[in-house]
Amino acid sequence: MVTAVRNWFSERLPISGVQIAELTNEPVPNHLKRWWFCLGGTPAYLFVVQIVTGILLAFYYQPAPSTAYESIRTITHDVSYGWYIRSIHKWAATLMIAAVILHQMRIYFTGAYRKPREINWMVGMCLLLCTLTIGFTGYSLVFEQLSYWAATVAANICDTVPFAGVFFKRLLLAGDSYNAQTLPRFFILHAAVLPAVMIGLLVIHIGILRLQGITEFRFEDEPDDKPPTFNFFPDHFYTELTIGLVLMILLSVLATLLPVDLGPKADPLTTPEVIKPEWWFYVSFRWLKLFSGTFAVVSSGFIVFVMFVWPFIDGWIRKHTRYTEASVWIGIVGVFLLVGLTVWEAVVEH
Amino acid sequence: MMNTEVSESETEAAEPKRRSFLFAVSAAVMAFGLTAGYGMFAWLVGAFLYPFRGSGDSWQFLSDLGSFGVGESVTYQSPAGQKIVVTRLSDAGTVGDFIALSSVCPHLGCQVHWESNNARFFCPCHNGAFDKVGKPLSGPPKDSNQTLPQYALQIKNDLLFIEVPTTSLT
Repeated sequence: MVTAVRNWFSERLPISGVQIAELTNEPVPNHLKRWWFCLGGTPAYLFVVQIVTGILLAFYYQPAPSTAYESIRTITHDVSYGWYIRSIHKWAATLMIAAVILHQMRIYFTGAYRKPREINWMVGMCLLLCTLTIGFTGYSLVFEQLSYWAATVAANICDTVPFAGVFFKRLLLAGDSYNAQTLPRFFILHAAVLPAVMIGLLVIHIGILRLQGITEFRFEDEPDDKPPTFNFFPDHFYTELTIGLVLMILLSVLATLLPVDLGPKADPLTTPEVIKPEWWFYVSFRWLKLFSGTFAVVSSGFIVFVMFVWPFIDGWIRKHTRYTEASVWIGIVGVFLLVGLTVWEAVVEH
Repeated sequence: MMNTEVSESETEAAEPKRRSFLFAVSAAVMAFGLTAGYGMFAWLVGAFLYPFRGSGDSWQFLSDLGSFGVGESVTYQSPAGQKIVVTRLSDAGTVGDFIALSSVCPHLGCQVHWESNNARFFCPCHNGAFDKVGKPLSGPPKDSNQTLPQYALQIKNDLLFIEVPTTSLT
């Protein structure tokens, strides 16, 4: 019977288990046995969690200003385990952004973006921007006070961009200011456009990684005669499975102990006395308070541009100057700024 | 008599030329068709996504000039709910006598509120502050010298009108 079923499939799908094993059995460098080198797989796993929980939430969510807030109240309080699914979605988003940032820092400080991996660094930057945008559009959908004012501020940030700003603001809001057609736009960006773009980028990101192989890294405490790689399947696959299980437990604990609540409903006539975005925008929020509008926006754009082309700038510095380790010191200053501005924004009211 | 026969070797030479010419023409037609077709579709998509609606503002009656003395302020509530403070600053009898301050911060669009103990309008989003006639006092609006925007006013037959939003979001 089993043989008959196997034959039936092998006649229609001409691929054997041996071939599948060969395809997946990418040699994995030894340093990936250390967990902090697996931070790239973490956001990928969380992205899958987001797709599953996001589809579930979309069964009940109604993207219109008159219904959005109520539908989220229904999900949180009335639907069976709605609070759990919504809390998992929120916590997975938080962890995904944290993991993406840590993954990028790991790539940066180990120099894994250097030639020939510049293109994959830029694909990664696109994924970072998509992740931040999908996080932002996500909390805009709740239609609480924070959602409304964050969307208004973001649209006006677009407006301060020279030349094309007004065009993008109108395109984002479907008008000159927040109106009835704005929320459906954020929803379709959050639930369709950005996930589709991110899936495409992830395929390219992982595809390039497989083509080039993972950067090899030897630690001093490793014996010289140790083989430099181990098998992806099953060894590394088990590591990823374990990470997935640990993440699922962590998400469940966070969702149960710190479930997501609902703030006051959006009021276009009153900005709350104390208002802050989600923590991952604290840096840009503080930056906007420190400088005039256009300067803050243009300088932020410039910083993002420098991050995009950093592999080439770093290559130039290493080739033409004697500061071959400049990237480490610039990175340390960058991390201090990131953490410093975030903490500053977190501890003060205004 | 002219010899109209074409030798076999000439035909062989002309064939690839004709073929490559036909190939180039058909490729160009195909490229044009694809560009025109998908380009047209892209244009339609752009027009579909770009918003058609205007601001949704309209002119509303506010007061007659005779009963609005210099130095007086009135609080006017628009049909969409905005509370707008309108002040008369001079007595020239023109629209320039009046200011109707919007509570929308010119920095990034949050709502300012009046702080009577500090005698200023304050924006809680990025710490912008304005005096009672909307001039910037501190924060990002001061850095780029942005004043509080004003609602448009007009006088018709000694009556004061204001242009305000009439539709609310929810």
